[in-house]
Amino acid sequence: MKYLPYLIASLFVAAIAACGSLEKEIDLNLPEYQPQYVVECYLEPGQPFSLLLTRSAPYFEPFPSDLEGFVENLLVDSAEVLIHYQGKTHQLTNGLVLNPFTKKIFNYYNEELVPADYDNDFELDITTPDGKHITATTRILPVVPIDSVVVEFDEEKDSLARVLTYLTDDPNTKDYYRRMLHHGSLDSIPDQDFTTFDDFVDDNKIVFGTGFDFEEGDTVFTTIFHIERAYFDFLESLQYAIDANGNPFGQPSSIISNLEGDANALGIFTGLSYDRKMIRIKK
Amino acid sequence: MLRKLFIVLVAVHAALVLSSQNTAQPEVTISGTVIDAESGETLIGATILVPDKPSLGTSTNEYGYYAFQVPSGNDSLTLEFSYVGYQPRLFRILPKENTTLNVELSTGVQLAEVVVQANSFRESLRSTEMSVEELSTKEVKVIPAFLGETDILKTIQLKPGIPSGSEGTTGLFVRGGGSDQNLIVLDEAVVYNANHLFGFFSTFNTDAVKDLKLYKGGFPAQYGGRLSSVIDVRMKEGNNRSFHGTGGIGLITSRLTVEGPIQKEKSSFIVSGRRTYVDLFTRQINKANEDKEDYSPIPDYYFYDLNTKVNFTLGEKDRLFLSGYFGQDVFGFEGDFFDFSFNWGNNTGTVRWNHVFNNNLFHNLTFTYSDYEYNIETKVTGFSFQVGSNVRDANLKSDFYYSLNSNNTLRFGGNVTYHWFGVGRLKAGSDDGSVSFSGGDDFNAASLGLYFSDEMEIGDSWKVNAGIRFSGFLNEGKFSGGVEPRLAAVYSVSPDFSLKGSYARMYQYLHLVSTSGIALPTDIWYPTTETIKPENSDQVALGWEYLLGSRFLFTQEFYYKRFGKQVDFVDGARLFANNELENEFAIGRGYGYGMEFGIEKQEGKLTGWLGYTLAMVRRTGFKPVDETRTFSGDENPYFPRYDRRHDLSLVLMYKLSKRLTISGTAVYGSGDRTWLPVGRFAFQDVYGADFEPIVPVFGERNAFRLPYFFRADAGLVYRFFPKWGESDLTLSIFNLTNRRNAFFLYLEPQYEESIDPETEPLAIPTGIKAKQVSLFPILGSLTWNFKF
Repeated sequence: MKYLPYLIASLFVAAIAACGSLEKEIDLNLPEYQPQYVVECYLEPGQPFSLLLTRSAPYFEPFPSDLEGFVENLLVDSAEVLIHYQGKTHQLTNGLVLNPFTKKIFNYYNEELVPADYDNDFELDITTPDGKHITATTRILPVVPIDSVVVEFDEEKDSLARVLTYLTDDPNTKDYYRRMLHHGSLDSIPDQDFTTFDDFVDDNKIVFGTGFDFEEGDTVFTTIFHIERAYFDFLESLQYAIDANGNPFGQPSSIISNLEGDANALGIFTGLSYDRKMIRIKK
Repeated sequence: MLRKLFIVLVAVHAALVLSSQNTAQPEVTISGTVIDAESGETLIGATILVPDKPSLGTSTNEYGYYAFQVPSGNDSLTLEFSYVGYQPRLFRILPKENTTLNVELSTGVQLAEVVVQANSFRESLRSTEMSVEELSTKEVKVIPAFLGETDILKTIQLKPGIPSGSEGTTGLFVRGGGSDQNLIVLDEAVVYNANHLFGFFSTFNTDAVKDLKLYKGGFPAQYGGRLSSVIDVRMKEGNNRSFHGTGGIGLITSRLTVEGPIQKEKSSFIVSGRRTYVDLFTRQINKANEDKEDYSPIPDYYFYDLNTKVNFTLGEKDRLFLSGYFGQDVFGFEGDFFDFSFNWGNNTGTVRWNHVFNNNLFHNLTFTYSDYEYNIETKVTGFSFQVGSNVRDANLKSDFYYSLNSNNTLRFGGNVTYHWFGVGRLKAGSDDGSVSFSGGDDFNAASLGLYFSDEMEIGDSWKVNAGIRFSGFLNEGKFSGGVEPRLAAVYSVSPDFSLKGSYARMYQYLHLVSTSGIALPTDIWYPTTETIKPENSDQVALGWEYLLGSRFLFTQEFYYKRFGKQVDFVDGARLFANNELENEFAIGRGYGYGMEFGIEKQEGKLTGWLGYTLAMVRRTGFKPVDETRTFSGDENPYFPRYDRRHDLSLVLMYKLSKRLTISGTAVYGSGDRTWLPVGRFAFQDVYGADFEPIVPVFGERNAFRLPYFFRADAGLVYRFFPKWGESDLTLSIFNLTNRRNAFFLYLEPQYEESIDPETEPLAIPTGIKAKQVSLFPILGSLTWNFKF
């Protein structure tokens, strides 16, 4: 057994050397996938009717090299898009529109403005270029206003502050919310973007907080969307699907859309109600 | 159901009548306890044979007790007591009256190892038990272990028909069942989450455990509550002859066990502890760096187990045992602005009273308490958040073991359990009380089980164990119950060859809320309710056993299993903090079938086994409880993640000398199944939100199989014999071939080098690569163990 110490030492050296890459690239043959239509349509009171109709692609389909090519490859033209409301039909015409303020694009558009009607349904009816149908119904929810936004500086490191956003929830209804928080600009990637609901609220006060992440002079945008259950389910399923890739603990999910019809489309048709406050951090 | 019950009762009765016709000759009962001569520990499964009359004999039960009848007469009988690893002993008795014979067996020079092994195997051949795997800690300690941490649950995965879950974890997927369908009991108390550190280590400290028995099918009537297996773990009782200590220092944990007599040969105690110590080093590192502004402290993590047991011999007929297990995982982080803690653990307690009424009737009365709980707590200035769940049981159980005559051994008894469930308890809010959130459900429920079984000798060749169990569950004023027929039979073609068959129906009243496929501390049990019905299964198994040359036991079994009321979860299930948890369930059914083959050698310089399993399992017909929710694939059949078509394992241990033992294991298995996206779409989202260029569209559920799994491990135990006792150095080499087994796959978007997708809102990928992630390369570990 005099060789035992050498054997052990060699093993540990080998083990350390072996602790190299635990990740490797592999070839994967995915089965054929039939592209589906994808709809995004948000009815925001006071804004024009607009809709984005795109298509999905097989997972490994090559990407166009630039943003323009990427967008063109996605867009679906020549569909008939109608939105029925209160006995009136709004036809959205096909044509690429870029909102210079939001930098969002739509390929179906109608200049008429979405009314601030929280009591009646809006119905979507799309006839796709291959003659299939996509339908959906939604109703715009009233805005749940932000009661107050409180800036608190840390007691120890008083150069850093957090932002608390308070709102009042209606205890008589089951409400779903989407919370966003931007630091600096609304064009930036949000610091917070998640969905939640009011099941656990004891009375009617809800607060959304942040870490002590902000300094004096910073600008913060805090936004609370009041969303319907279908939009909540859609956003959650999207997040589950994204998170399941690369997460061995994750549970994949299909995309839970509120679209019906024989086109088997993915996407969402929903109202958009939100309250947003801009805060400049100061003591 | 009642019709089936009636048929079974008639069959049992008919068999009883048939068998009792052969018992006209007067008989006497031989009974007693078989113990280890050095420690006084009872020996479970020791064999008692009558060499001159091969049809007579028995083995000790789980309490070390045996009783069997022999024809009375004036001719003396020789009884042979044997146990693997011990010197067999012969006793000559005159069978004129009932006799109590307590026997001590010693380890030591085993000249008769072939005899011992043959006796052990022959008892297996005679037994109606099938689909059973057993392990002693003696074997476990020699087999190479992950990071040197011997683990009885991981070692049992090397037996046929018990594939593991993810690499290196303790999850068991027995004959197509889920990891939640295993009843794990420690000294008869249920262990609800038998894992530490996400399942990489089990809660069983090998120093404190005596042995483990796993039933994959043919369940005896005394067991119920889970569909796929019963894992019965017995703690050591403590040496009642002299004081001893054992322990070890390994890469991950240190262990210390102390045992000894309280009153010599009458009572004993054992205290065994194990703790990881990585946190002791990380705390020092944190302390050394606490002045560095950019330093992020390493979170604290450790787990510990404490096993305690005392037992008292209160006379010739009574023994009292008290045992407890306390284990906890502790994770904590203290930052500048927030504190986070995450603790989870099991506690169990057992009080057991064994009473021998007379030579024929043995009784065991047990009270157990089980508790599993997790708590997550976060505190930030002015606010706190707490979430947790727990399940607690108090169980009273009574078991009778009655040796009616040489042809009938009866077991009967029952249990009542009271359950407390706290599911998804949540409390959050501001310190000043202006904002508060709370949620969660509490359930109080009760379950019961009543059973009766008769092990019958019918002629010289047949042995039948017919049993019936009635189980029930009461929750929210609603009662669910079921009758569970059990039948097992063996036909001895020759002393070396047997044919076996079994049937068992099982009900499961508790459902694990988990989607990960990996043991997480936040997995919590949910009771049967008016909406969520009890799960059930029927399993039929047929097989044979053949003893070759007194050394090798060959076994082969075929099984078919049907599962009803199976639980899965809807797409996007919200299992964490949800007041309407039942709406996340989807209920369906399933089936599995397969073949298991094994060769085993227990004695001699070379011991070990070879096991191969060919298996298939599918689940189908799943419907969401809440019809507005979605279950991908609708009601179509799908493969669960753990569908493993082939599973081959080889375990060899070779004792080169008194000092040196080497061992090796090799495992090959079909890859686990996984669920991958087949399509993608771009999602623009609303103003302010992040553009998502790739949202995966998942295809058929679990349609992909990961690459095959292979791992070879090697071990070496070198023993020293200092004056104060015994010690050894145990070397384990995990993944000897350094194969990168797939833990999971993921698909990674590729971007131009100049683009950081984390900060660029409109980053467009240039392509996607498929990546395979492995967990463990070759790992060596050295453990020093001692015994005094």
